[in-house]
Amino acid sequence: MATTLTVRGVTKQFGAGASAVDALRGVGLTVDAGEIVLVMGPSGSGKTTLLSIMGALLRPTAGTVVLNGRTISELSEHDLPAIRLHEFGFIFQDFNLLSALTVEENVALVGELAGLARSEARRRAVDLLTELGLADRLSFLPEKLSGGEKQRVAIARALVNDPSIILADEPTANLDSRIGREIMRLLRSIAKERGRSVVIVSHDQRIRDIADRVVWLEDGQLRDLVAMAVDPVCGMSVERDAAVSEERDGERLFFCSRGCRSEFLGELDAPAPSGPSEPRPLAGLMHMARQYARFGSPDTTSAGRQQHPRR
Amino acid sequence: MTAAFLARRRLFRNRGRLLTSIGGVALALSLTLALDAIYAGVANGLTAYIDHAGADVWVSQAGVRNLHMVASWMPASVTAQVQAVEGVRDATPILYTTDTIASGGERGVAYVVGVPHEAPVGGPWQTSAGASDVLPGSVIVDAAFARRAGASVGDSVTVLGREMRVAGLSEGTASLVNTVAFVPFGDFRSARGGAPVVSFVLVRLEPGVDAAVAAAAIERAVPGVTAQTTAGFANQERSLVMDMSADVITIMNGVGFFVALAVVALTVYISTLSNRREFGVLKAIGARDRLLYGSVLAQALISVAIGTLLALAFTALLAALVPRTGIALAPALTGAAVLKVAGFGVVVALIAGLLPIRQVARIDPASTFRRGATL
Repeated sequence: MATTLTVRGVTKQFGAGASAVDALRGVGLTVDAGEIVLVMGPSGSGKTTLLSIMGALLRPTAGTVVLNGRTISELSEHDLPAIRLHEFGFIFQDFNLLSALTVEENVALVGELAGLARSEARRRAVDLLTELGLADRLSFLPEKLSGGEKQRVAIARALVNDPSIILADEPTANLDSRIGREIMRLLRSIAKERGRSVVIVSHDQRIRDIADRVVWLEDGQLRDLVAMAVDPVCGMSVERDAAVSEERDGERLFFCSRGCRSEFLGELDAPAPSGPSEPRPLAGLMHMARQYARFGSPDTTSAGRQQHPRR
Repeated sequence: MTAAFLARRRLFRNRGRLLTSIGGVALALSLTLALDAIYAGVANGLTAYIDHAGADVWVSQAGVRNLHMVASWMPASVTAQVQAVEGVRDATPILYTTDTIASGGERGVAYVVGVPHEAPVGGPWQTSAGASDVLPGSVIVDAAFARRAGASVGDSVTVLGREMRVAGLSEGTASLVNTVAFVPFGDFRSARGGAPVVSFVLVRLEPGVDAAVAAAAIERAVPGVTAQTTAGFANQERSLVMDMSADVITIMNGVGFFVALAVVALTVYISTLSNRREFGVLKAIGARDRLLYGSVLAQALISVAIGTLLALAFTALLAALVPRTGIALAPALTGAAVLKVAGFGVVVALIAGLLPIRQVARIDPASTFRRGATL
């Protein structure tokens, strides 16, 4: 898989002297084509700064950002708009649609900025919006749309110039859970069906389900990631490398202690109660736990790895 | 094109701001345009007699180049000398002074013109009642003055210090400043002591004779006179009026300019400030600064263009309505005034559009990622 975006040793300092704040400290990250990378971390950890630097909106104090072999962090201000226009698609938490433009115009505008004829830009916009289920909203102003619709318009706007990377900042934050899942599915299909790299900054744990990789940013630094699992007995999150584990039916299960493992194995090995329909009290929970404890969910074998910063 | 599109959408999205902006411009430029139109109307009124008297060339005492507030006295023999110049078809002497006419309780300033009986030129060019020629002891007064005075044909008015009977009512002979009253040449002369003098000689030329050439020939042939074409004479008159009012016009132009500038600059600036986030978004998605500057400038230009058109429409309406009110004034919207206001508009728009550019330039595209940031 070809590398598309590489961040090397990026440091970003705001302010100077005694009031200087290091938002990022030597961050390194590579995003491959078609990969979904989720950047998580506490508030103020530098996630948005990292996203801004990756998207050529902000210059790093030190370090480089390389996009398809081109060091974009060293480009002049004159060259940056073209990079933003053609290489990146931005999705914002607040949607950031232009309030005076209709849905169609919001999307077509980006095409026009890239040099498309107005008719061609509008055609592309209509095609994308139709694909995203907004065909009957083309002439609406953003204020008339629901949050989910606004975010879909923002996604269409991000895609209209066929960028190689989508940068999304808390794309599900202002949406209810159903719409949030819908947006997540959409982002995943953008990555997997259109081959775009997607970098998402979010606090939303649900996005882990669609991410190929989760990185943890804290105090301006990326932490080593450890794969996490859930103890199927007590439900506790455990580090896979340090946990007691047991292979069962071709699956490796992880436990917080030998006691939990024993309890789990005892349950499984115990003879089935007599009577065909007597329920097993833990069976459902255990099934769920087993699913959680899997390295990856059945339908996202290489995705959704549960990872957590090593402390 | 995109800059203008964005500007138009931004402008028309906020109706209140749009109305404030174009209303302010329209009002401010209307001040300038209306004042220009009024002065032009006054000037046109003052030159009405020159324009319609029927002469091709006006001959006056040497150095006298206009009618308003001057005295021109030449020997009566000048008329024959002018008549003798080649190309002159006829030469009509008139006497002229500025006087007060009164009727009942109404008094008004008038250009009083003494016209020979059955003169081919110099008399009233349009009458609404009575005679168009003046006989001894009679006067033709302006119809508007007669209406105000409640006078009609046959009534008496006081002109040149004597009572005269109204023989007719003329139209188009009133301005905001005065009216024109036509009296018999002989009556005028006797009222002024009977001296054999004339004020002006009105010359008609043979067909095909150039007025400027004839005027020059008259000046060469007749000593002590100034000869001007009618157009030149009228221009001198207008220039005098405009010069007299130049300070007022300049002040009002300045007021109009600065009010328009303040209104447009303020509304464009406020609009730019309130749209900073969207400018940031545009920068973030790849719009170049020049597009944003262009859209701010276009917003100012569109506001000013609409405001200017409204000001023109308002002034045109004023010019159409004022004469119907009975005021002796026909405001005139001149090409020069329109050009001046258009120029004003462009300068106002450029300044108003350039002022917020620093704000736009300082917008950080990365700020768009900050939740709820006002940038």
